[in-house]
Amino acid sequence: MTRKNYWARAAQTLTAAFVVALSVATVVPAQAVTYDPITGTGSTWSQNALDQWRKNVAANYGMTVNYSGVGSSAGRRDFAAGSVDYAVSEIPFQSKPEDGSAPEVPTRGFAYMPIVAGGSSFMYNLKIGGVRVSNLRLSGETITKIFTGVITKWNDPIIATDNPGLTMPDKGIVPVVRSDGSGSTAQFTLWMSKQHPALWNSYCASVGKATPCGLTSQYPLTGNMKGQSGSSGVAGYVSQDYGEGAITYVEYSYALESGYPVAKVLNASGYYVEPTAPSVAVALMQAQINTTPGPDYLTQILDGVYNSTDPRTYPLSSYSYMIVPTEVVAGGVFTAKKGATLGAFASYMLCEGQQQAEALGYSPLPMNLVLAGFDQIGRIPGAAPAPDPNACNNPTFKPGDSPSNNQLALTAPQPAECDKVGANQCTTGTGGSLAETPISGAGTGGTASNAVAGSADPATAAAAGAAGAAAGVTASYDENGALISGTGISGSAVASPFTLASSAWGSGQSTMLFAAVLLLAAALLPPLIWPRLKRTPAKVVAK
Amino acid sequence: MLIDTLTPGTAPTKTTTVIPSSEGIEIGPRRRVRSVRLDDRFDLIGAGVAGIAVGTLLFGWFTPLSGGVGWTIVSFLSFITFYAVLVGMKADRQEIKDRVVSVLLASAGVILFGALVFVVAYTLVRGQDALPHLNFFIENMELAGPLDPLSAGGILHAVLGTLIQISIALAITIPLGILTALFLNEIGGRFAKFVRTIADAMTALPSIVAGLFVYSAIIVLITHQRSGFAAAMAITVMMLPIVIRASDIVLRLVAGNLREAAYALGATRWRTVWHVVLPTARPGLATAVILGTARGIGETSPVLLTSGVTAVTNLNPFSGPMISLPLQVFDFVKSPEPNMIARGFGTAAVLILLVLALFAVARLIGGRGPGELSHGQQRRVLEASARDVRRITIAADRRQPVAAVPEPDPAPGLPSTPERPAPSKEESSS
Amino acid sequence: MTTTNPTGPLGQPATSVGWTPDFDDAPRRSLLPRPSLSDSVFKSVAVTAGATTVGIMLAVGLFLSFRASSALQVSGFSFLVEQQWSPETQVFGIASILFGTITIALIAMCVAVPLALGTALLISEIAQGQLRKTLITLVDLMAAVPSVVFGLWGVFFLQANVIPVASWISTYFGWIPFFQVTDASGQVLTEASAFTSSAFIAGIVVGLMVVPTQTSVMREAFSQAPNGEREAAFALGSTRWGMIRSVVLPFGRGGIIGGTMLGLGRALGETIAVYMIISPIFTINWQVLKTGSNSVSALIALRYGESSEFGLSALMAAGLVLFLITLMVNFTASSIVARSRSGADSEA
Repeated sequence: MTRKNYWARAAQTLTAAFVVALSVATVVPAQAVTYDPITGTGSTWSQNALDQWRKNVAANYGMTVNYSGVGSSAGRRDFAAGSVDYAVSEIPFQSKPEDGSAPEVPTRGFAYMPIVAGGSSFMYNLKIGGVRVSNLRLSGETITKIFTGVITKWNDPIIATDNPGLTMPDKGIVPVVRSDGSGSTAQFTLWMSKQHPALWNSYCASVGKATPCGLTSQYPLTGNMKGQSGSSGVAGYVSQDYGEGAITYVEYSYALESGYPVAKVLNASGYYVEPTAPSVAVALMQAQINTTPGPDYLTQILDGVYNSTDPRTYPLSSYSYMIVPTEVVAGGVFTAKKGATLGAFASYMLCEGQQQAEALGYSPLPMNLVLAGFDQIGRIPGAAPAPDPNACNNPTFKPGDSPSNNQLALTAPQPAECDKVGANQCTTGTGGSLAETPISGAGTGGTASNAVAGSADPATAAAAGAAGAAAGVTASYDENGALISGTGISGSAVASPFTLASSAWGSGQSTMLFAAVLLLAAALLPPLIWPRLKRTPAKVVAK
Repeated sequence: MLIDTLTPGTAPTKTTTVIPSSEGIEIGPRRRVRSVRLDDRFDLIGAGVAGIAVGTLLFGWFTPLSGGVGWTIVSFLSFITFYAVLVGMKADRQEIKDRVVSVLLASAGVILFGALVFVVAYTLVRGQDALPHLNFFIENMELAGPLDPLSAGGILHAVLGTLIQISIALAITIPLGILTALFLNEIGGRFAKFVRTIADAMTALPSIVAGLFVYSAIIVLITHQRSGFAAAMAITVMMLPIVIRASDIVLRLVAGNLREAAYALGATRWRTVWHVVLPTARPGLATAVILGTARGIGETSPVLLTSGVTAVTNLNPFSGPMISLPLQVFDFVKSPEPNMIARGFGTAAVLILLVLALFAVARLIGGRGPGELSHGQQRRVLEASARDVRRITIAADRRQPVAAVPEPDPAPGLPSTPERPAPSKEESSS
Repeated sequence: MTTTNPTGPLGQPATSVGWTPDFDDAPRRSLLPRPSLSDSVFKSVAVTAGATTVGIMLAVGLFLSFRASSALQVSGFSFLVEQQWSPETQVFGIASILFGTITIALIAMCVAVPLALGTALLISEIAQGQLRKTLITLVDLMAAVPSVVFGLWGVFFLQANVIPVASWISTYFGWIPFFQVTDASGQVLTEASAFTSSAFIAGIVVGLMVVPTQTSVMREAFSQAPNGEREAAFALGSTRWGMIRSVVLPFGRGGIIGGTMLGLGRALGETIAVYMIISPIFTINWQVLKTGSNSVSALIALRYGESSEFGLSALMAAGLVLFLITLMVNFTASSIVARSRSGADSEA
C-alpha cells in the first residue's frame, strides 16, 4: 500500500513537473542565452528592490535569481562560507570589528558592488485622539534618545519641541529593533555612534558592552524594546493594532508597503526631511567612496552625509552592496556559467532596474557608482562586459553626463517652509500614510504639497496655523489617545482598543463587589433555603 | 464494554454444558441503561441562562467590570454555582459533585475542541482570499513581485518542493525504519536493546537541533549550499526515530502464535517475516509511516535551516534552494504586505488540507488492528482458501482415487484475529 | 518431542532436550538451526539497518557533543549562569534562554494539562458510541496539525485578542510577582504594548499544540482501567465521579504523568510558533505577562545563519543542553508510563 502510495506520488510529481515545464515554455519566450540559476542571501533592507528585479529578469530574460532576505550578517556569513553565489549587505565584511568579535574573513575573492540607495527611515504607529499621526518630526538627538531608552513617553518635552503642531499623548514609546544580525542596525548604530557618541556610549555601557562602541549588527535590547527579526518583522509589528506607540528603523520601502508614515528627520541645515528618493540622492552626493583599489574598494564613508548642509538632505541615507565573487573556487557552488547570469543580472540592476527604485521606496544610484559597479562586473568570472553607460537608462544620468552629476539631485525640490525648525509644522502625510494630520498642538501648520514646487504659500500656512493654534492650545491626551482636557481633534474613531479597568481598589469597587454579592445572594438564597424549610415535614411523610 | 468481561470460565467438568440454541428467539433493540431525565436537562439549560444573565447584569449594569474575558469567566462560574444549587435541590452531595464534575469535564472538552477547531478554521477562512485563484495552485512566485495582487503567483513550487523532500525522506525512512523495527522485533538480542534505547532517545531530539546538525554537518562541511536534499536529510533525521518507534509498537502487536504457527510449518525466519509478520502488520505500518509523514511535512524548523528560500520551481534536490510548504508559509507571513499574508494563510490552508488528507488515508488503511481484515479482504481470503481446498482435493483425488475424500473445511486455518497482543520479545525470549 | 521455545525458536540453540533417545548408534541430530540463505541475508540486512540507524543517531549525538565541547571549553561553567549571548566576544551563556524555554513550557503545561485531563476523562468515561469515536479521531488529527499553523494563529489572532486577558490578570493578580508587569523602575505598565510578544502568549499557543498528544496518552491510560474495578465501584453505589476518582485516576496516574511529560518534551523543543511570537531578550524576565522572553530553539533559528564557526558551536551547545533536558523528560515519562502497566504502546 505504501509502495503504491509512493509511486502515486512520484507519478504526481512527474505530472506536475510536466505542467510546470509546459507553462514555463509557454510564458517565457525562447531565449538565445540560457542562464544558470543563481542564489543569494542577505539584507532585508534591500529585499523589496531585489524581489522586484528578480521578478523582472525572470519575466524578461528567463533568468532564475533566488534571493532570500535573512539579514546582512547571515548573508555575509553565507558568502564567506561559500554557500551562495552572491550576498547583499549594507556594511562591508567586518575585518576589524569594533565590538571585539572575530573578524569576518571570506576565503574566496570578492568585490563590493553598490546596488541601490535608500534611507533608513523611522516608521511609527501613533494616534492622537484616534487619528493617525502622519507628520511626526524628530531630530537626531531625539531619535537617539528614543532608541537608547532615555525618553520613554511620546509626550516628552523634547518630542514636543520637535512637533509644535501636535499634542503628544501620554503614551509609552515602544522602540522596535531588529533581533537578527542586520545591516540596518549597523547603519543606524554607526550613525548614532558618530553623531551622538555620548548617548550611544552610555547606552552601550548600560548593557555591559565595552565603550566606546561603534557600530553593531545586533541591537542590544533593554526596557520596553521589542526585537523582531527581519525588516518585515519590525515593520509588521509596528503596523499591528497593538503596535500603537511603536517606532522602528527600517528602509523607506517597507513603510510605503505597509501604509505607515515615517518620521521626518532634522538635517544639519535645520529642515525636517522625509527619506524620499531625491533627498537620499542629494544626501549621497556627500558620501565619500573609497576608491583605493583593495578589499574595501567602493565602501562608503558617510560622515559627510550625516552633516550635509544641503537643506534637502536626508541624513540617514546610505546604499547597500552586492558582494560578488571574483574567482571561481574549484568544488565551490559558484561557476563561470553562474558568473554570466550574475553579470547580466548586475548590469540590469545598475541600469534598467534603477528606474523602479523610486517607486519601490529606494533611490537610484548615481553615475559614479554605476560606473564603478561596471568595473566590478568586469571582475566577475564569466560575466559579459558591462553595457555602454550611454545606453544605461538609469534615471540619475543622461547620455553624456559627467559622473559627478546626479539628475535626481539637480531636480530635487527644496523642502517646504513648514518643514523648517520652528512653530510651523507641515500637516502633509509621509511614507505610506498620505492622509493629513490635523493640528492639535500649539504650533502652526502648513502643507508641503504646494511647497514642493518651491514656493510655500505663507497665507495658507499662517491661516492653518492660526486655526491650529486656536484649536489646540489646551488639548491634552492620555495614553489611549483619548482627550483629557481642552478642545482637541475629534477623531472619527477614538482609539481605545484595549480598555483596562482601573487598578486602584477604592470604596467604589467595594460597593460594586457588595452589590454583586447581594445580587448573587438574591438569586441563590431562596432555592437553597426553601428545601431546608420543607425538609422536616417531608421526612415525616416519607416515614 | 462492561459486559464482555463476564465470559464464563471454561472449567473442564464432566457434565456437558448445553448451550441453548438462540435460533428463533427474537433479539429486540438493546435497552438503554443510562438516560437523561428531563429535569436534568432543564437544570442545565436553566443554570446556563442564569449564568449568562448574571454575567451580563454584573458587566452591563452594576459593576464597572469590563471585557469579554471577565464576562466569560464570571458567567461560567455563576453557571457552575447555579447548576450545583439546582442539582442540590433534589440530590445529595455525592451527586452534586458528580454532576458538577461532569459539566466541568464537558466544558474542558468543549474548550479544547473549540480552540483546536478554531485554529484550523481560522487558517482556512483567512486563506479564502488566496485559495479561489487558480493561479495560486499552478504558478510559482517567480513572476510575482512584492506588490503584485493575488491574481499573480502561486505556491506550486512549494508544493513540489514538499513532495520531493518528503519523497526523499520517505525513500530513506521507510526501508531503514521498518527494517530496524524488524531487527528489534524479529532478531533481538543485546544490540537490539541498544538500538531501541538509542531510537527512543532520538525521539527527544528537538527538530531544530536536527536542522542545525544537517546545516553544520552537511551544508557547511560538504555541499556548501542549501538544497532540497539537505532539507530531506533534516526531515529524515527527525522522522526516522518516530517511524522506528511506531513500527516497533505495531510489530510487537503481531500475535506470537502466528509466528509460532509459521515456524511450526517449517517456514524460515525470513519467510515468516515476509508472509506472516509484515502482511499482518501492514495496516499498522502504513499508519505509522503516514503519521510520520504528516509530522515530517508539517515541521518548519528543520527546513528553515536547510532548504533555503526561493520563488522558483526547483526540481533538482541537489542544487539550489528548494522551498517547502511550511517554510513558504513562514516566509509569506513575515511580510507586512496584506497580499503576502493572504498568500501565507492560503499556503497554510493547503498544508493543513494535505496533512488532513494524509491522516484520512492513514485512518482508512490503519483503522483496524493488526490482523483484522476488512470485509473485502475477508471475502478474498475465503475465496482463496476455498480455491486451495479445491486444488488440494483434486490433487488428493488424483493421487488416491479410491480413498475417501475428506469433508472440505469451509473455514480453513488462515490467520484469525489475534485475541491478545503478543508478549514482547524480551519477555518471551528470557 | 523436543521442547519449543514460545516465539523465537530459531534464534537460540536449544539447551535442554526433554527426551533423550536411548539408541546410541543413530547419529545425534543437531538441534541448532541451520539458517537458509534467505535467512542469513535477512538477518544481515536487518542488522545492517539497525546499525545504520544507530550510526546516524550516534553521528548526530557525537557531532553535536564534539562541536559543543569546543564552545563549552571556552565558556566553562559560566555557560549555565551567563545571561548574555554573544559568542563573538566569548561572552555567552544560556541562563536567560533556558529560563525562557522553561517558562514557556511551564505555561504551556498550565494551559494544556487541565484541558487534556478533562478531555481525556470526557472521552474515556462520559462520551459514548459514535461521539467518542469522533472525538478520538479529532484528537489524533489535531496532533498532526503543523506547528506553523498554530504560530500563524498565535501571531494574527491570539496576540491581539489576549492582551485584555493579560492586562486583566496583571491588574487583579499583580500582587503575585509572576503576574506583575512593571518597567525597570517598578512602575506598573498598563499599555497594550507591554503585553505583546510575551512568554504567556507563546505558552498558550504551545500549550494548545501539545494538548492533543497529552490527551491521547491519558485517554489510552484511562481506557485501560479494568472494567471489573469500575463495575465494582458502581456496584458499591459510587457515582461516576466517585468511580473516576477511586478507579480511573489512580489507575491512570502513570498515564497522566507520562502524558504530561511527553507534552512537556514537545513544548520544550517547539521552535516556529515561539519564534514567531516572542521578542527575544537575553535577560531573565520573571514577569511572564510582560513582553520579551527567549527559548533555545528560537535562538537557534534566529542566529544560526549569521554565526561564525564558533558561534555555531555555541548554538550547538545550547541545542545539546535542550536535547539532554528533553531526553531526561522523555525517559522519565516513558519509564513512568511503562511502570504503570498502561499506555506503554500508545505513543506513536
